[in-house]
Amino acid sequence: MISKSQRMIFGSLVLFSILILSLPTIIVVGASFTSGNIISFPPDGFSIKWYEKIALARDLRQAFVRSLMVSLICLIVSVPIGTLAGIALTRYRLQFIGALQVYLLLPFTIPLIGSGIGMMLLFGNLGILGSIWPLGIACAVINLPFIIWSVSSSAAALDRDLELAAANCGAGRIETFLYVTLPGVMSGVITGGLLMFVLAMTEFLVSLLLTDARTVTLPVQIYNNVRSIITPDLAAVSSVFVAIALAAVWLLDRLVGLEIFLKSK
Amino acid sequence: MELKIKEHGFRYPLHWRILDSLEAILGVLWPNRLAKFTGWILILPALLLVGILVIGLIEIAENSFHSLDRSTFRLSNQYTLDNYRAIFESATYGKVILRSVLATIFTVIFTLILAFPFAYTLVRTQKAIVRKSLLVILFLPFFIGQVVRAYGLLIILGTKGVVNQTIGLVGVDPIRLLFNFPSVVFGEVQYMLPFAVLMLAPALTAIPQETETAASSLGAHWARVLLRITLPMAKPGIIGAALVVGTLTLTDFAIPAMLGGGSQDFIANTIYDQFFRTSDQGLGSALALMLVALGSACVGIAVALYGAGTLSMGGKP
Repeated sequence: MISKSQRMIFGSLVLFSILILSLPTIIVVGASFTSGNIISFPPDGFSIKWYEKIALARDLRQAFVRSLMVSLICLIVSVPIGTLAGIALTRYRLQFIGALQVYLLLPFTIPLIGSGIGMMLLFGNLGILGSIWPLGIACAVINLPFIIWSVSSSAAALDRDLELAAANCGAGRIETFLYVTLPGVMSGVITGGLLMFVLAMTEFLVSLLLTDARTVTLPVQIYNNVRSIITPDLAAVSSVFVAIALAAVWLLDRLVGLEIFLKSK
Repeated sequence: MELKIKEHGFRYPLHWRILDSLEAILGVLWPNRLAKFTGWILILPALLLVGILVIGLIEIAENSFHSLDRSTFRLSNQYTLDNYRAIFESATYGKVILRSVLATIFTVIFTLILAFPFAYTLVRTQKAIVRKSLLVILFLPFFIGQVVRAYGLLIILGTKGVVNQTIGLVGVDPIRLLFNFPSVVFGEVQYMLPFAVLMLAPALTAIPQETETAASSLGAHWARVLLRITLPMAKPGIIGAALVVGTLTLTDFAIPAMLGGGSQDFIANTIYDQFFRTSDQGLGSALALMLVALGSACVGIAVALYGAGTLSMGGKP
């Protein structure tokens, strides 16, 4: 049905897209296993010495731990807040729902450089700049729409009568919430939490603005090192991010199925 | 059993009692007559959290109306529009803004040219394995993060990178592929592609394949079907994708910083420099506020035209 010329043109454009999307990743992972001291092609032979080196490098290890802490704080802040907001938006009759949605989408509509500078000024005035936890909160703010979206889409699919039935059987409000509503939206909570965790882990610009030399996170550390010299140890660090991304994509596919993103409204 | 109950008196299981006391506490704190405000109390923490951004913007606005006092290197106290005047009169900022806008236009065009066939194939393919592979290829970069992706491009395009090594095999001298305008545009296209595809795919899903089949069965060439049927029907998705890609590119920092090597700064890079190099917070804030206004306007148009799309939160009750 699809004609030959269309298949050729579309096929080659798709192929080009696949190439530019995946080649950098493949090259980075490949380069991390070189036994040479510079990145060259083809690689000088196989070794895992760069992984040994980054495991021993104190600055990278500390940056990694800081990134993990930022992601955890982001989760602790964003998951309860996002879950309640997602449920509120779908299960309760709120006035000005249109205005609320626009307001809650602000983290997406305000460019990251604006959000980052704004929080930098605010946190600076409060005297909390230079700690790790404000960055966790910042990551929760800028990605909040993701978890609200994922919770509210699973809440929308939940039958309203289930909650009424629970209440009818004598369950109180907390019991209904814990045993009916929360389990019902759990897939959305987990999906949203996954997105929040990975996005906080890889967040760069806001981290750059809110950290100083003592509190850099891993993406900022990579950025600083790239600007000085490109060595294979950075490729090894980057491969850690590739591994995290692979795990995240696999999990996302298991939880909701990647196909959900193709659905029309 | 019967005896035991009589001996100790009847007691509910522990977690029942805990729940009951929690319910009782809730009953005092948030009695049922407040039920119509329950939705508001649940959404309040989210409103407060986003409020941090609003306060941040107010801080930026406040700073932007104070100019830098060169003798103390602090912002002066009186309100002034000097910062905005400086931006409009300076050729440097004009050049940066022009470069950002140009790069954005090129990025939007190239990204859409690549994203449309990708989204189309993704939606129309009959093979589940093809669809899954394309989705994984699309999502992986999304989760890898901007810095690592730009680093990959640095390795590929560097003087000793993959491209130059490959053309070196056939005897061509290395070309300087990095730190120029095209390399930044290329980096942006690579970065934006997944966003554009994810904006386009739902719009294409909404087009029934039968309309295309009908057109071609009436003898229309595929290019004609594409131009007259598919593209017009996908228009909301295309505009949405263009606006999102455009805003993200216009306000980007990492790609121009890493692939431009300091010579291809965008507006965001200039803002960063104002804060961390020149230490002129007032001017930096004025630039930031202008960029926020510009970016928000673009996304606002996108949401107004397209709806929040796949990211719409909560249906209308």
